[in-house]
Amino acid sequence: MEIEYKPAICPYCSCGCGIYLVVKDGQIIGQEPWKDHPVNEGRNCPKGKNAYEFLYAEDRLKTPLVRKNGVLGEASWEEALDLITTRFKEATPETFGLLASGKNTNEDAYVLQKFARVVMSTNNVEYCGRLCHSPSAAGLGPTVGSGVMETSEIDIERADCIFLAGVNLKETFPLMTMRVLRAKGKGAKVIVMDPRETVTARYLGDIHLRLKPGTDVAVLNAMMSIILSEGLEDKEFIASRTAGIEELRQHLSSLDLKEMEEISGVPLEKIGEAAIAYASAKTGCVLYDQGLNQHTTGSDNVKALASLALLAGHYGRPGTGVNPTRGQINGEGTGDMGCLNVFYPGFKRVSEDVAKIFEEAWGVDNLPTKPGLPYTVMLQKVKFLYVVGTNPMMAAPDVNNVRKALQDLDFLVVQDIFPTETAQLADVVLPAATWVEREGTHAWVDRRVQKIDQVIAPPGEAKPDWWVVCQLAERMGYKETFNFASAQEIFEEIRRCVPQYAGITYERLSQTTGGIQWPCPTEDHPGTPTMFVQKFNTPDGLGHFQVIDYKPPAELPDEEYPYVLTTGRSIFHYHTGTMTRRTPKLNDEVPRGFVQISPADAAGEGIKTGDMVTLSSRRGSIGVPAQVTADVPPGVLFVPFHFSEACANVLTNHALDPACKMPEYKVCAAKMEVQQ
Amino acid sequence: MNGDMVLAWSSDEEVREKAECGGAVTSLLRFALETDSVDAVLATKARDGNRYDGVPVLITDPQELIGTAGALHASPVNLARFLKEYLDGAADLRIAVVCKPCDAKAIIELSKREQINLDNVLLVGLNCTGTFSPATARKMLQEELGLDPDDVVREDIEDGTLTVWLRDGSETEADLAELERKGVGRRENCRRCETNIPTMADVACGKWGVEHGRKATFIEILSEQGSTLVDGAIKAGSILVEQPDNAAVERRMAKAQAATELAQSWQERDFAPFKGLSLEQRFAYWTSQFSQCIKCFGCRDACPICYCQVCWLEAERGYVQGGEIPPDVMWPMVRIAHVMDSCVNCGQCQDACSMDLPLSRLIFMLNREIAGVFKYEPGMDLSARPPCTTVTDEEASIDAVSISF
Repeated sequence: MEIEYKPAICPYCSCGCGIYLVVKDGQIIGQEPWKDHPVNEGRNCPKGKNAYEFLYAEDRLKTPLVRKNGVLGEASWEEALDLITTRFKEATPETFGLLASGKNTNEDAYVLQKFARVVMSTNNVEYCGRLCHSPSAAGLGPTVGSGVMETSEIDIERADCIFLAGVNLKETFPLMTMRVLRAKGKGAKVIVMDPRETVTARYLGDIHLRLKPGTDVAVLNAMMSIILSEGLEDKEFIASRTAGIEELRQHLSSLDLKEMEEISGVPLEKIGEAAIAYASAKTGCVLYDQGLNQHTTGSDNVKALASLALLAGHYGRPGTGVNPTRGQINGEGTGDMGCLNVFYPGFKRVSEDVAKIFEEAWGVDNLPTKPGLPYTVMLQKVKFLYVVGTNPMMAAPDVNNVRKALQDLDFLVVQDIFPTETAQLADVVLPAATWVEREGTHAWVDRRVQKIDQVIAPPGEAKPDWWVVCQLAERMGYKETFNFASAQEIFEEIRRCVPQYAGITYERLSQTTGGIQWPCPTEDHPGTPTMFVQKFNTPDGLGHFQVIDYKPPAELPDEEYPYVLTTGRSIFHYHTGTMTRRTPKLNDEVPRGFVQISPADAAGEGIKTGDMVTLSSRRGSIGVPAQVTADVPPGVLFVPFHFSEACANVLTNHALDPACKMPEYKVCAAKMEVQQ
Repeated sequence: MNGDMVLAWSSDEEVREKAECGGAVTSLLRFALETDSVDAVLATKARDGNRYDGVPVLITDPQELIGTAGALHASPVNLARFLKEYLDGAADLRIAVVCKPCDAKAIIELSKREQINLDNVLLVGLNCTGTFSPATARKMLQEELGLDPDDVVREDIEDGTLTVWLRDGSETEADLAELERKGVGRRENCRRCETNIPTMADVACGKWGVEHGRKATFIEILSEQGSTLVDGAIKAGSILVEQPDNAAVERRMAKAQAATELAQSWQERDFAPFKGLSLEQRFAYWTSQFSQCIKCFGCRDACPICYCQVCWLEAERGYVQGGEIPPDVMWPMVRIAHVMDSCVNCGQCQDACSMDLPLSRLIFMLNREIAGVFKYEPGMDLSARPPCTTVTDEEASIDAVSISF
């Protein structure tokens, strides 16, 4: 009788926590702590503790499905792939689009973008990272040259001031919260910027900047202004490592702080307290997430935040930086691999020169040289769409319009593990192997590349994503360019094409608990825990201050829609619910959606907890139970986006940040009515 | 014979070489497998040779036992849980379990709760003065001793000194008390543990009582099963033995006494802050701690005493409001109430807590108070019933007590 502890990394968020899967006779029968893993030391959050259940859910996709006479029916791989090949051949570079996923492995993501570019000749390749961290690239790029997490997550515990900007860390990154708590134990101060009084604000925060949704720039500008007037800026750092301080100084001195207070709703005294705490700290660490990003001013918000850190000199040392917290297991990696309309692999910007580099690397001609369409625009504009591991019917804004667009397509292929809301509209559905059903690498939040080993067989006829893509490429006449017999072979090509990965090998990963943090240029390089130690990734190596003006959200409340609707997550669920709603222990905790309503608003509308409420925006309506709580301020409603039957994104606004095409998930106008 | 003590070492040269202290335990287990006294051995192994990554292994091939020889001080493996959860509590399999005293105590407590079939279990207990968490051990070795943790091939704790041997043959020593003052060192629960010799097992094996530098194991036979094992192994020539002299026996007792006293001083130190507080202050302190709980159920999963099929704390039971973090204070209170009379101080709960809550400190502190009231020592005497779920005849006949079912 063989019972083995097999190491794996949790499939949920981006912390990258180790777990042991207990395997007997080819089945996972339990899981146990992996105490030697450096990220989590044997601890896990509720999702991590129930990591494998979803693999065995009843409705796993096990065979390809092809729609005939309006109904999806089982088909062979050959039939499905032949049909896809025929239909894809009808597409042009303008009419084809590919959406990849933050759950793909690096190997999957790499061949997916290669397929779009080589086989379909288009840069219409994106992934769900567009909808969460595109402002990180657009905001941090001009400021520090790279939109990645600067510090190692383990070093967060070294900070003596931690600024949690728009991140409900306790619920979304519990094992980073462990680090914050350790820092607090040594006396660190924690600042939380969030319109809601989340558990993060209540139990981690010492200073809560409870701002009106979408007013982050006002608060951040005020903070910088106060730091300068107190003389707390890091003069040496500014002199030696930055550019643009004079323009920033001028801009900030032209601002009326009272106006910032009024816009944000945060008392100046509080803003001052936070600013002084952060600037006076020795090791200041900023962690930020969707609260900053998911706005039409997302990239502006990030720029302001990064300028704040440059001003205070909190960059380039362990436990400092302005750190985007990716939500997905491969949020970082799929971007590294180039599943982005404006980047080839390794963040080489789409252009004629870069196309030539990859023509040479891949042995092909005529790679596309113009940027493709971003995610939400792609949904509307293409005719042939290939969706792999992402669920726009739950995750994209303005779902009613998404449905129309998907139904309008000439041909929709969805490759996934379950019959998701998006798969249900497809012409062909392909069953994917996932997580420990195949081998592959991911890059977790702090650029930590770790390997997932195969532990069990995939169900039925499910196959790894990369295998499917290679099959299609072969059928479309590109066998030589997609001649991969294993994930490892793909990784070897990645090493040649993505300099940050050059020194990482499968063998090194097998021998290194906790993985290797890129950049890792050579095989004897240990990896890079902390970025920007000597210089930034900008052309001149300096950090560039950004001058940012406050701009209000695209759709604010009015008489007809008097509330601000904001969206977010719960610790017990994961994103569109595909995995967690099929995990009984998690779903039992939060079995249905809810709308958080402040006691004042509830009283005004005659609503009590449990009442069914119809929530409407200009884009649609949903029915959802009310939860009356002081967690939300008056005038603000909060809905989590995990629940199909109460789909938050029916309501959200498709307005985009012009710089990076990020939708404004965090602010739109809504109204509500009690259902009788 | 039951009650005998011997100094033992393996008769097999290869085993003696590969093992740390003469290989007696390895040879005893080999003997047990080879003579079919047990179906399998449950032991701890360094996964891929990593001393900080010990995993439970179930061994049926006697040749594989040598791979588990030696003590992994930085791998606190939860063997009682493995036995309960994955081996069906030894319902149908005769298993020798090589384990620390806390594992053995947990197994006995689980047996009282009918979760482990003790008739099928041979407890080969190992003396223990504590383990380290892997993260702390690595930090300690790197920052305090300036060593690469992966160079370490052996560690030992003796008379308050931590010694580590490196791959190149060199050795380094450090004062354990000093390390613990700095916040690195043994796991908190280990420091408080008075059960260093596993007298609740079938045999207790360790190096106390053995002359310094000698490669032998001091074995105390504690049961008929233990006697059958050791006497059989001696007769078959698997192990060679000699009688320990009085000095050796006394040395062993003295070390145990010193370890117990040290543990008691740690208990006093760790529990003192709470003894000084009023009940209200204590409650406020602990509710503040538990306000960080994220309901990962790590403590519940890890605790060997927890065994309910459908736990009272799960959302589906309807007792604790689902979806709330922190959960209602009844969540930690009920969990503690359910296990505190039988806490074996294994520390697995605190190891598992993602919010670094000092769970073992609280639960064992309560356990010590209950132990004082009911004179109940968890995991020692199979016939002693856990006091919080047992009504004695005497209690039942108290006038003011009525019991209904």
